[in-house]
This record gives sequence, C-alpha cells and structure tokens, in this order.
Amino acid sequence: MANGLGRKSVKRKQVDEEHETFEQDLGPNGTLEMLSDEENEGDVSSDDGQLDEFPEIVNESDSDESDEEEEEDGEEEDGGDEEYESDGAESDDSLHVFPKSKTVISDITKQPKVVYPEIEPEYDSDSSTEDAPNRVGNVPMHWYDDLPHIGYSIDGQKILRPARGDELDKFLATVDDSSAWTSAFDKNAQADKPLTAEELDIIRRLYAGENPDADYDPYEPTTEWFTGKGKEEVMPLSGALQPKRRWVPSKWEKQKVMKIVRAIRQGRILPSKPKSTSKFEPYAIWSERPSDYPPPLPAPKPRLPTNAESYNPPEEYLPTEEERKTWEAQDPEDRERDFLPEKYSSLRLVPAYDQFVKERFNRQLDLYLAPRVQRVKLNIDPESLIPKLPSPSSLKPFPNYKSLQLHHPDSRVRCISVSPDGSWVVSGDEDGNVSLWEIIVGREIKRWKFKGKIGALAWCPRTDISYFAVGIEDTIQFIIPPHIDNSVLSLTQNVLAPSTLPPAPASPSPVKWTTPPSNAWSLDTPILTIDLPASSGTPTHFCWHRKGDYLSSVCTGGVHGGVWIHQMTRRHSQAPFKKIKGSVQTVLFHPLKPHFFVATQQYVRIYNLSEQKLIKTLIPGIKWISSMDIHPSGDHLIVGGYDRKLCWFDLELSEKPYKVLRYHSRAIRSLQFHPTYPLFASSSDDGSIQIFHSRVYNDLLTDPLIVPLKILRGHHVVDGLGVLQIRWCNKHPWLVSASADSSVAVWCS
Amino acid sequence: MGRLRVKGKAGAAKNYITRSSAVKKLQCSLADFRRLCILKGIFPREPRSRKKANKGSSAPTSFYYSKDIAYIDHEPILKKLREHKAFAKKLSRALGRGEWSSAKSLEENKPIYHLDHIIKERYPTFIDAVRDIDDALCMVFLFASLPSTSRLPFELVENCARLAAEWQLYVINSRSLRKVFLSIKGVYYQAEIMDQTVTWLVPYLFTQNVPADVDIRVMLTFLELYQTLLSFVFFKLFTDAGLVYPPPLDIKKDENGAGVNAFTLQGNSRQSSSKPAHNSFGSHITGKVVRQTIKNIAANSDMDGHDADMPASDSAPEADEEFTPRASSNDKATVTLPTLQTLSTLPQTLSTDLFSPFTFFLSRETPRSIFEFLVRSFGGRIGWPSSSGAGSPFDEMDPNITHIIIDRPLIEREETREQKELRLRRKYVQPQWIVDCINAGKILLEEPYGQGKILPPHLSPFGEYEGAYIPTTAESAPVEEEEEGSEIMEEDTEDREALDTVMQAVTEEPTSLRAAELVAEAAGVDYGAFEATVKQAHKRLGKETDSEIDHGESDMNKMMMSNKQRNLYEKMKYSRQKKEAEVSVHYQDYIQIVHCSSF
Repeated sequence: MANGLGRKSVKRKQVDEEHETFEQDLGPNGTLEMLSDEENEGDVSSDDGQLDEFPEIVNESDSDESDEEEEEDGEEEDGGDEEYESDGAESDDSLHVFPKSKTVISDITKQPKVVYPEIEPEYDSDSSTEDAPNRVGNVPMHWYDDLPHIGYSIDGQKILRPARGDELDKFLATVDDSSAWTSAFDKNAQADKPLTAEELDIIRRLYAGENPDADYDPYEPTTEWFTGKGKEEVMPLSGALQPKRRWVPSKWEKQKVMKIVRAIRQGRILPSKPKSTSKFEPYAIWSERPSDYPPPLPAPKPRLPTNAESYNPPEEYLPTEEERKTWEAQDPEDRERDFLPEKYSSLRLVPAYDQFVKERFNRQLDLYLAPRVQRVKLNIDPESLIPKLPSPSSLKPFPNYKSLQLHHPDSRVRCISVSPDGSWVVSGDEDGNVSLWEIIVGREIKRWKFKGKIGALAWCPRTDISYFAVGIEDTIQFIIPPHIDNSVLSLTQNVLAPSTLPPAPASPSPVKWTTPPSNAWSLDTPILTIDLPASSGTPTHFCWHRKGDYLSSVCTGGVHGGVWIHQMTRRHSQAPFKKIKGSVQTVLFHPLKPHFFVATQQYVRIYNLSEQKLIKTLIPGIKWISSMDIHPSGDHLIVGGYDRKLCWFDLELSEKPYKVLRYHSRAIRSLQFHPTYPLFASSSDDGSIQIFHSRVYNDLLTDPLIVPLKILRGHHVVDGLGVLQIRWCNKHPWLVSASADSSVAVWCS
Repeated sequence: MGRLRVKGKAGAAKNYITRSSAVKKLQCSLADFRRLCILKGIFPREPRSRKKANKGSSAPTSFYYSKDIAYIDHEPILKKLREHKAFAKKLSRALGRGEWSSAKSLEENKPIYHLDHIIKERYPTFIDAVRDIDDALCMVFLFASLPSTSRLPFELVENCARLAAEWQLYVINSRSLRKVFLSIKGVYYQAEIMDQTVTWLVPYLFTQNVPADVDIRVMLTFLELYQTLLSFVFFKLFTDAGLVYPPPLDIKKDENGAGVNAFTLQGNSRQSSSKPAHNSFGSHITGKVVRQTIKNIAANSDMDGHDADMPASDSAPEADEEFTPRASSNDKATVTLPTLQTLSTLPQTLSTDLFSPFTFFLSRETPRSIFEFLVRSFGGRIGWPSSSGAGSPFDEMDPNITHIIIDRPLIEREETREQKELRLRRKYVQPQWIVDCINAGKILLEEPYGQGKILPPHLSPFGEYEGAYIPTTAESAPVEEEEEGSEIMEEDTEDREALDTVMQAVTEEPTSLRAAELVAEAAGVDYGAFEATVKQAHKRLGKETDSEIDHGESDMNKMMMSNKQRNLYEKMKYSRQKKEAEVSVHYQDYIQIVHCSSF
C-alpha cells in the first residue's frame, strides 16, 4: 500500500509542477497569496514527513515488507523535501485529488475557458490497478477474522495479519505517536493508516460546512447565454399557428356576464345593495285588523312595592337586630323579602341598590324558565269551609254534664252495664269487684267480690226478669240483683235454674252449665255458672240477643276464635265457627234479622246464622278494630278502632265506610248507639267522650245526618288509658262511663 | 273490542315534550333555543303528572307544550339563526385564511332578522302591548344607565337612552303619570296609558353592579325584544298624539346633557294645526304660556264656584306673575281648610295640573332626571343649575321661582339683603314633598318638608294587601284618642298610667274591673274618662269574647270536614294568622316607638 501511495504522490508531483508553471504565468500576486495561505499546509506536509517515519515502530513485527516500505518512505520523504524546497504551493496542489484545471482564452470564442489536463492512459492512472498488497478484492473482511492471514498478495501469497497490540499498547501508541489522532483503521490492511493531507483537508472542509472540493468556486460569474443586450430571441421557437382562442373573445365568458347583466336588469341583483344593518324603522304595526286568535296570556306582573320598601318608611317597619340577623342567615331563596327595610333621613343619602341587575335578571329567568300555572285564588272565608250543621242546642236532649261520679277502690273499671229499665248500673273492675249502683242518687247497693279480673258485664235485656252476666277467668257467672220484685225473682230463678233441666245435648259439650242446689242460693253467689273450656281466657265481650235468650261471648283465647253462643232456655252453648281467620274482637247480633257480626282485627264479617253462611265482609280500613255497634234500625253500623278512626257503614250500600271520622286524639275504646234517642257516643283513651246526633232517615236517598254535639271531659287518663266503656240508659238520654281512673260517671242532659 | 291503545301516543305523553327533545327536534343549539323561547314568549309547562309526560321517567326536566315547539319550528327566525350559524363559519374561515375582502363582503351580507312579526303575534292589539311594557321599560331604563363595554356596545346603550327619553317625553306630554314612589331600590313610577297602569322602576343614578352570576346574554336577548316592542308602542303613541316619531334629537343639546330636553316634539303636518297648544308643551315653555294656563285655571275654578282645593286660585289673579310671600301664606290657609270629605270627592283628573301654578328650581344635589320629569309631568316649570346639565329655561335668580327643591342640611351663613329677600320669597322644600304631593293628589303643607327638617315617613302609594298593617290609620287613631282625652287630662301623666292599668284590667278579667275603678278613682281620674277607656278596651276585646262562645261549636263541626277541606282550612288559617301576626308586630313596634318618643 505504501507503494501505491508513493506512486500516486509521484504522479501528483508531476501534475503539480505543470500547475506551478501555470501559476507562475499568472503572476506574482496569485502566488504570493497562495503562499501565505498555505503556510500552515506546508507545516502539515512536513509533519506528514515526520509522521511517515513512525510506522516503523508500528510495523516492526512485519517480516517481509518492512524493508520495502522503508525504502519507499525514504523516497517519499525525499520527494517531500524537494517539494517543500521548490514551492509552498505545491503542497497545496498535492492535496488535489482531481486533476488541476487550467483557464485559457479560447481561440474560437475569445472567452476564457477551463481546460483540464489530458488523462494519461498509463498503467498507473487507473486506481484499480494500484497494487494494494491485499488482493482479495471487495469482500467482507470478517471472513478472515478467524484466520491468521488477511488476504493474498498478487502472487497468491498469504498476507499475514499484522500484529495488533492489546489495548494498553494501543493506548501507548496513541500517547507516543502524535499523529495517532489523524490515523484511521484500514480494513483491507487490518491496521491503522495515517490519513493523507488531502483527506484531512476534505474532513476539515466538511467540518467547516464548505464544499469538500477545494477547487469549487461558489461565486464564479454567471455566463449569460440567452439574455442581455443583443441576445434577445427574435424568432419563434416553433412554426405552429396561433390558436383562435388567443384572439377571439370567449363565448362562455360572455354568457356568464350576460347572465349577471340580465339579473341586474330584472332587479334580481342590486349592484349597490345597501349594507345589511339591524336598523329598522318602526311603523304602524297595529293598524290592520288583529287576527282572531286570542292573545297569549300576559306574564304576571311583579308585585308592587309596599311601605317597607320606602327609603323613609315608618319606623315600625325597620327590622330589629334579631330580624336582621335571621334575614342575613337565610338563603336568598328562603327569604320572605329580598331586601331589608332601611331608613334614610334624606334622599341624597340613599345609596345604590346593589341587587338591581340581579333582580331584573331573576325576573327574566322567571319569564322564560319558570312554568306558569294558572291558579284560581280562593277568595273565601275559611270559616265557610266548615260544614253548616244544625246547632247542638236545637238537638237536645243529650248528656252534657256529669251528674254523678262513683268510685271503685283503686282499680280500673273495665266494664259496665245498665239494667234494661235504666235504674241500675253494674260495674266491674280489674280486682274482681262488681258493684251495683242506683243510677239517680249513685248509692252502691251491693258489691260482689270475684277472683280474677272482670272482663265483661251484660244485663239481660228482658224486662220481665232481671239478672246479669259477669265474665271472669274462663267462666261466665249469672247473678240476680237484690231488691227485686218477688215475681220477677221467681221468674228469673225459673229461667236460670229451672226445676226440670232440659235434655242434655246429644254430643258432649266442652262447656259446662252448673247451678248450685236451691238451698245454697244467696245474693252473694251466682245462680248459674258457665264454665268455658280451659285456657279460653277472660271473656272480654258479651252480647245479648234482643230477645234475651241468646248470649254471645268473646274470649281472649281458646279454640273457635273464642266465640260462643249460649242459649239460656236450653242451657246449651255452641261455637258458631269451627275456625276463624284473625282474632275476634267483638261480635254483635243484628237487632231484626238472624245476622251475626264478627269483627276481627281489620274486617267485619256478617254471617247469616239460619243459613249458616257469610253474607258480607266490611272493610273499614282500620288497623285494629276495638269496638262496634249497630243502629237500632239495623241498617247502619259504626266501627271504632285503636287508630282513632270511627267508620260509619251504611249496610245497604257498600263494604266501604260511608264516612270516616277522626276526632279523638287517642284510641277509641268504646262506642254505642242509643237504643231510642238518635244519639251515639264514643269514648277514647284521651279521656273524653264524644256525643253525636245521628239521625237516620227512612228515605233511602237521604244520607244520615251526623252532628257532633258535645265533648264530655271529666275522666282522667291513667297509664295512657282513658274512658274504657260507655253505655246508654235505655229510657233516658243518659250516659254511663267507666274509666281507668277507677270511677264510674253518669252524664245527664 | 275497542281500538288498541298504544302507550305514549296520546294524552300527556304526546302533548308535552322535554327540553332536550325539543332542542333535538328544532336542530338548533341550546342557546338558539333559549333565544327563540325568549323572543316567542314560550315558557315551560308543568304537566299534571311528570311521569306520564316523560315516558314513565321522573327525572327532573322541564316540559314544553309540543304545539309550542311546533310553533317555533315554523319560525322564520329559526331559519335566520341557522343562516347566521353558516355565516359565522364562513366568516371565521375567511378570517383564518386572511381573505379580508371576502370577509368584508360576508360581513356586509350578514343575515339579520327583524322582530316585527313576533311583536304582532305576541301582541295582536295595542292594548296587549301596552299592558306588557312594564318589564320592557324597566330594562330600557336600566340599560340606559349602564356603561358601555365590549359586551354592551355603545349603540345599544344609546338606543336605550333614546327610548327612555322618548317615553318620559310622552308621559310628560300626555300628563299620564299617576304615582311615584321613592324606594330603596330606585324610583317607581306608575302611569296610566290607555286605561292600563304601567309601572316601571328606574334605578338611582349610580354605576350599576353587574354580578358575575348574571348571564348578560339572556338580558341582551330580552332587551332586543323590548327595544323593538317599545319602538312600535312609542310609534303608535306618538302618532296617535299627533306627534312625529322618532322625535328629532338636537345633538348639541344632547352633548351638553340636556337629557329629555334634547328631543323636540313636532306635530304631524296634518294635525299640527288642530293641537298647537298641546304640542307647544314640552321643551318650549315660556312664562307667558304658564301665566296663560294659570289664568285659565283660575277662570275655571271661579266658574265652578269656590273650590277650596285650588290653592292658587285667588292669589293668581291678584298677583299676576309674582308669587309674593303673602300669597303663599294665603295658600297655606286655604290648604288647611279642606276637610277629608272634600278631598275624597276631588276628581282625579284635576291633579294632573298639580304643579302648574308653581315654578321650581332644583338645587344642585337633587337628581335632575327624576324631578324634572315629575314636575313637568304635573305641569310645573322647572329650572336647574348649569352643573346639572344644559337647557335650563331660567336661572336661579329668576323672580318667578316659587319653590327651591333642596336636599342639604340647613347651615347658617351670612347673606346680603337681596339674597335674604329672595330667600324669603321662595319656599325651600325637600324632594319628598314633590312625590308626596303627587301621591296625595294635592299640594301638601310645605312646613314639615322644609330644609333640614326630619321628614314624615314616605309611604307606598300602591297600597298594601288587604288586612295589612296601615301606618296612617295607626297614626290617626291615637291622635283622635289624645284629642278626646286632651280636654280632661292635659299634663297629668299619672292619669294616663292609671288608665293604662284600666285597659290591662279589662283585658285580663272583667271581675278585676271593680278594682281598677278604685285605682282610677284613687289616681283622681274623671269617671267619664274611665268609662271611655273601659269602653275602648271592651271594643278591642269584644270580638274575642263573642267568638269564644261559638268557638267550641265550630271546632266540633270541623271534625265533619273531609281531609281535603281540612287541609285547605288549615292553610288559610295559617296564612291569615301569619298576616295578623305581622300586623300586630308592626302595631306593637309603633306603640313602642310612640311610647319612647312621648317620654
């Protein structure tokens, strides 16, 4: 390789010499410049000379070619010296890879022209013939990576891989060799070769962003071939004829223009159309007849200001400190007024109202966002809503004051009953005391003491005999009151304890009727006892049939819903229901028909006893029925519940109540129609008794008239219990009430 | 078998449409929909059952009538809005590309819409329009006082100011102003036009605070409609009055701040001859005209007989143009004479010329825009210092001035003899006097409204709801009481205390009356006075005791009411009680204040 380079440089030298001569021809200035320019270059080349000496060390291990190389180097060195001596410009020339051009004045055109030297087609001129020592050609050198040689010389001899030191050697070489940074790895020789001066120059130029060709002049003068004075082209380039369209006016253009012209003439296009502005002039818009459509409803007007809004209101309108604070604490939506009244002593002190724009805006939001509803304003007196009912004073008599109050020894009076002639009252309390009172003066005639609490009391409705039933734990006792007529007494004894007992029923009954022997009869003991089946509990409700032969009892527990019907004449008890849904609260006999009413917690069922079937189920809508009574006419039923409701049923009409009243503040405990007067009463846990006038008309079209008459207060509420039972006197508009405050009261008209 | 009913094809489901589906149907943006609703006056409706109207959904939405939406669908403005959308796109594209000339031509051919057909639709008759201009006037007066910003172009504010001035001009000219109320929010005016009361609110002259939560776009849309509406209404009003609309504006005067005076009223050529005197009213009021009118009025009142309600009637013929101090003392005497009865029988029309005998001069701290309008609406002449604007018909030294409207505290200062003479010849009143005179329909005594005096309370002329606390009655009742009692107990405060105890006793228990009588006797109160107080106390209590008797009965009857009726009853009772409580609170406050001030 060193050989090749050497030859090249020789050839270059020759070229340079020619060039040099030419340069000298040009004149001293150019040379001088060049010289000064290339001072450093000269140095470089001298360095180059020095640099060439080093490979000796590097290539020391080379066995064959080292000598040759040395020789070559020596030659080159000599040549370099010569060059250096002869001219500095030469070194510059030596950098040129391409042959140097000459500028001569052409004989023909008298213009300067660049002439390149002839390429001598000698053996040396082709780079391909350069004898690089390795003749493997352009093959990937990594093929030789594992081999000891790196290729073959022209003679077919293996070229051995030059010795490569380890990294330390390399490093030392770079330290020692000052030209190491200008050398590059030659793949073909597998060794570092120093770059030549031209190559370095190319690198420098590229680095500086110049054209890599040193000879290239970017600012050479342009040569004007076709422009400039006297060089205009006069003759057409082609001999073709001009097309017609170049000189005939366009038909289509004319058509388009004519279209616009016609539009302008017809007034479709206004040439100087006035600019569109939002200005418009008002005119008499309401001059023509209005359409027949009704106008849309006008928006409601805002409320007009009141005195409070004045800048100088009377002082009573000014808010107090508290009012001011509460107003400020409220949300703007909740405020009754959107401003606070203020007082200013004179108009000049009134400040701006800061909510003005906001209020206007809110008004507009109302106008377009708020749904409008037309409301008929009720301009009526609220008192006119209260139904007009006949005055209570015109509906006398009714009980309106407490005439008597009788006291039991402190225990709740649970039940009460009035004799059919209306002169006696029996009352029973939870301690087992049963007292007999005279109704007019309130004297206690007699007191019976039983074990267990008294659940129910009922006087037999027959007037020819006199006795009453007492419901105690699992038993019903029949007692004849003292001080009655002998005839009545004997008749009663006959009824309750006949000398000849009726025949026993075929099937054995769980209910036992027992009468003590006639010698043991006394006023203190019951004349007849009915033993209900065990665990049937206290009878809570008795109901006599109007003829006084049948007594129905309801117990708290036991089979068959706890309902029994006892027949006095046959001394026989029967359970009307085998099984009953819900727990039975009360039962009732219809006053005229063989119907039987059973009230469970929520429903009232009406059975026909003779046909043994269910007629009707009434739905009062009460959560828990407490009591029930039927009008003497038999067509109306009232039902009271623990949820304070009282339902009036018209039995002819529907199973839903005709009227639902809710006036008590606590649970309704008891209610009853008066047998003869058009009255009914209800008592409640709030300690009050309410008297109603209830007129029922024979005419089916007229609704019953219900008029509240009187609220009787006088009983106390004890442990949340008020008036527990009320009963009417048969012949007078008098009421007897039993209360939880261990008293019995008689209310008279 | 009946026809099959498909769900959602009839009834509420078909009659109502939700807002979002309405927007979808109209194929416009929500903002455009809002604009259309505002312009067309379409508002949401409340269906009976929201679930039925919204396919079973109970989501909170607003409902519109489907027919209303169909009505908008045929609106030409909707088409214009769509065109405008396309225009906006084209313009922004042209601007983005820098095609200035095409942008300019686009801008010139911008689609615009007019609202006249909407005005005709919404207000088929003129009366409908007049009935609905309250809000329009409020808005126009508000925007006339707002500063112009980028959102609020100058032209808009100017147009609003023009409309406001035109309206004031018309009201002055037609003498239709009826009531005025100075509130803390602004000044309420009420005029009567075509038998319709028109009430509008004008803010005091301050820079308005526009809060951030106010959507100015909504207000501007409303304003757009209102401007059109007002210009049509004014056109009709002016032309019906035989005037040219729009009234020509004198730009020079306007620049000097002449306000309403910058406009000149011109009669229509065909009608000008018929109503020359009417038209001359307005800005060209000369002293001669005033004198003429005063004479006319005087002559009329003479013909009517001795009407005590014309205060200037006898002074005018004597002192031709000079209102001497003697004359003014005269009319004080005449004013005090009329009883309440004669005043109540006063015809309302007379009060429109209330201020015609007077000449006012505004002190510089009084707002000219308000009082010029008020005085001129009631036929008075008014002047103002040049600091309040140009165009004052006379200056402060004019000898005709009868009243100075002044709002300054009284300050003692030296004055020349001439000034003093001038001061004595004039009356100095606070601005509230003008307003109270207008509301009372008569000239009130100037005395309580004098400069630096504590003013009597200013009450709303619009009245209160029925049964509300009325301060005037509360005021008059105790006055009567005192008048009665003044003969008996002049300076004795002990008597008063004793009578108070009597009142207490009566209210507490009738049996303690005897004891109270003894107390009164001990205090040395006349028996007549005692009986009078007892009677009064009874009167106050009378109704309560009466009602207590049948109270129980009606209470019992209440239990026969149905639930619906009962609820209604309870509600009515509640609201009534609340009102009564308010009245009683006011009354107690009043008693307290009177009590405090008396000691």
